[in-house]
Amino acid sequence: MGYVRGLKCRECGREYPVEPIYVCEFCFGPLEVVYDYKRIKRVLTRKNIEKRGKNLWRYKELLPIDGEPQVGLQSGFTPLIRADNLARELGVKELYVKDDTVAHPTLSFKDRVVAVALTKAKEFGFDTVACASTGNLAHSVSAHGAKAGFKRFVFIPASLEPSKIVASLVYGPNLVAVDGNYDEVNRLCSEIANKYKWAFVNINIRPFYAEGSKTQGFEIIEQLGWKAPDNVVVPCASGSLLTKVWKAFKEFKEIGILKELETRVFAAQATGCSPITSAIKQDTDVIRPVKPNTVAKSLAIGNPADGYYAGQVVKNTGGYGEDVSDEEIIEGIKLLARTEGIFAETAGGVTIAAAKKLIEQGRIGRDETTVVCITGNGLKTQEALAGHTAEVHYIKPNFSAFEEVLKKIGYQ
Amino acid sequence: MRRRVRLTFPQNLIKEPVIFTMAKRYEVLPNIRRARVTDTVGEMILELEGEEQNIEKGIQSLKEQGIEVELIEGDVVE
Repeated sequence: MGYVRGLKCRECGREYPVEPIYVCEFCFGPLEVVYDYKRIKRVLTRKNIEKRGKNLWRYKELLPIDGEPQVGLQSGFTPLIRADNLARELGVKELYVKDDTVAHPTLSFKDRVVAVALTKAKEFGFDTVACASTGNLAHSVSAHGAKAGFKRFVFIPASLEPSKIVASLVYGPNLVAVDGNYDEVNRLCSEIANKYKWAFVNINIRPFYAEGSKTQGFEIIEQLGWKAPDNVVVPCASGSLLTKVWKAFKEFKEIGILKELETRVFAAQATGCSPITSAIKQDTDVIRPVKPNTVAKSLAIGNPADGYYAGQVVKNTGGYGEDVSDEEIIEGIKLLARTEGIFAETAGGVTIAAAKKLIEQGRIGRDETTVVCITGNGLKTQEALAGHTAEVHYIKPNFSAFEEVLKKIGYQ
Repeated sequence: MRRRVRLTFPQNLIKEPVIFTMAKRYEVLPNIRRARVTDTVGEMILELEGEEQNIEKGIQSLKEQGIEVELIEGDVVE
């Protein structure tokens, strides 16, 4: 027996039963899962959580399932790393990296949302799951879906890089590469989701799927010793992750696990796709869709479904939004790797570079505690670094050739 | 078939009967579900019902006039 009360429209507040629906029939607002916090408060305590397995289901009462977890039993609970080297470099006292580069099983935070989405899909009785994706989501649906025994349809734009396609294909889904521009792929997938009775994780299962992102927020609080940070920097694509990290913090406050909550939430985007941070900077509620053009492909959502709500969270918590150029993204990836030994994908470079800017601007205080969310592994986007890394020293197999190298690099 | 779209009008078209013209010309049934029209802003959520190709043509004609047409769900490719 779960703790979900139902679905509720974020715009007009109209309530709906728990079904695979995602948009309000009356005002077209997005639907959000609502819980019975009074009952959850009685069962979900710090002590109970600490006794449970180290995966995202340790917070299961605050996730939208009715029965027991069925998919992604080892997902979540990634390390929160105290990043002293990076902190020194950026001139702040206390900095943490929430490291989803090692998420199980496909090395991005999408493993969290898909674990929840597919468990819900089982509960709804679907036998087929689907998604439209350019990368991380496709990998996760393919992998989690394989283990859980679903038929899988994964839709991608045909222009996608071969390495990303292989990382989905290996799990044996039906991979459909759509020969069309981005808008055409989008529209086709919306139509397919309307016609076929599949669990389209980021369309008709979206309200449940998105809740999985909260686990990143829960873990941050727990791993900080049941405290909220002063600042959290979150990369934005659709804006969903940012709103859910904040929802997680608020829920922990609501059920009494967190005593104080004064966190400021900051949004990070690439300059080549910054509809959310642009709206924040211009202090407007209207998100203007853009045509993405950035190396950070996993954040390239030009018409972000949750952009408005992400902007509201930033505004209401006293945070800000910052965007960074492709060069700054590459520098951000290298900075994190060089200081903390963590290889993040391009979205991680966005977060690091944006955090750096926000610190330099004084919007993030140097004496405060800050968490940066790193959402995916750099092995997935290696091509972004081509020509930007240190060079290999090629030598002949003899000792003097090696000593030449030492001389060249000034080794002593 | 039915399709839901969000339209953003440029300022010069706010006072023009573009929806009526499109609906009549391409035989689609428009149902205005939400709208916010002031002197400077024109936004509308519209449900279009009709033959698929007619809806396509209708949307295309709106775009050609300079109206931004977006799917109601936002982008779905993640």
